[in-house]
Amino acid sequence: MNVNDTRLAKYNPLSRVLCFDTFDTTTHGWTELLGNYNGAGDLDTVDDHMRDFRPPQLSSCSFFDIGTHGTMSGDYALKLATRPHKGHTATGIRRLTMAGRGLVRIETHFAFKAEATVGREAPSSVDWDGNRHPSESQFGAFTVATDICADGGVRFHNVIRYQNTNLDGEMTQRWMYPVVPEPTPRDHVEGKFKLPYAADFTAPNPEDWRTFDEPLEMCVNEVPTKINWHYLRWDIDTRTRSNVELQLNDRVMDMRDVPVPPYAEKYDTLENLLNFYFSVRTHSGVRNFLFLDSVLISVEW
Amino acid sequence: MRSTMTAVLERNTVVREDFATEPYELPWASEARFFVQALEADGALEFRTEVSPDGLHWCPLDDEAHRIDSPGLITWPVSGFGQWLRVRCSVAPGAVAKVRIYLVGKG
Repeated sequence: MNVNDTRLAKYNPLSRVLCFDTFDTTTHGWTELLGNYNGAGDLDTVDDHMRDFRPPQLSSCSFFDIGTHGTMSGDYALKLATRPHKGHTATGIRRLTMAGRGLVRIETHFAFKAEATVGREAPSSVDWDGNRHPSESQFGAFTVATDICADGGVRFHNVIRYQNTNLDGEMTQRWMYPVVPEPTPRDHVEGKFKLPYAADFTAPNPEDWRTFDEPLEMCVNEVPTKINWHYLRWDIDTRTRSNVELQLNDRVMDMRDVPVPPYAEKYDTLENLLNFYFSVRTHSGVRNFLFLDSVLISVEW
Repeated sequence: MRSTMTAVLERNTVVREDFATEPYELPWASEARFFVQALEADGALEFRTEVSPDGLHWCPLDDEAHRIDSPGLITWPVSGFGQWLRVRCSVAPGAVAKVRIYLVGKG
């Protein structure tokens, strides 16, 4: 077995692999999401809540206490990093199109962390007791989502979010989904909303989010500078525009009843759109990080 | 083939006081280059490259300052850095500017 076989052996792809991204060689098309802008390229016309999602980085996962941690598969992980601003979101998006319809699977080995605080204490709802650590409650949420549009402009987002804490910094550890589609730049141009900087772009009203499955404890491993890689597998069906199943390590969650709200109006220029994004949002004002060791996207068409 | 990567660290950001860009990791790059594009500028801005061993604690890379006081583009190369890079900006009293800041890595 050569090293490429080893890398693939930790995944369970469907019959056709569209992307297998490890991050020892560039960002593989995972780029920053930015809101839309006018014909003059005036970035002042980008929505305030979609203008600062931060550029992804290739990280060797190094820390103040132990130096270079490294990744699961090699030297570098894709790192999404928020600003130290409560509510700020960082994104990485990958843009594809669909050559068919059917089952789509995205898998990743990932880790999430709040930035270490050194020489000071940041507010936390968890005390240090030698096992648990305040940084545990300084991580807000990470999200995996799609942006899909086809069949005459019907557009929708499959969305899963792991909410580690609520906006008050209390541990929740819940899987969530929104019951409304994401506000778009066209909605803004049409005067339907205007959201402030650091609004939750996926669904800005906390009341539009619902939980599914049971609370799930992750392996955050005590302090902010230990990284344990988690396996995530998420299946959706683009033929039925629905969710199918989510797996996080040994927890398998049936998502067939988790709705995927489509936009009421049709969208142009997006025929066969198949985008995926990862995002990370801080609820604490401490920088939050999402590290992706590797990502595999496969389909059944 | 070599790899290159461009990050937009600030995008049409209006600056009126001193600031530093967010920490950016370029552990794979052997060389880098900052670009500062002043879309608007009324007064002087001075930029210095900073490095860090951990993304938390920072010091200047060298003694060079890079100044812009009118709309336009300036750039400078960066070498001999470690894992993290950022740029610190000093804003002259009363100055205001709108800037884009790019960091390009190559390795």
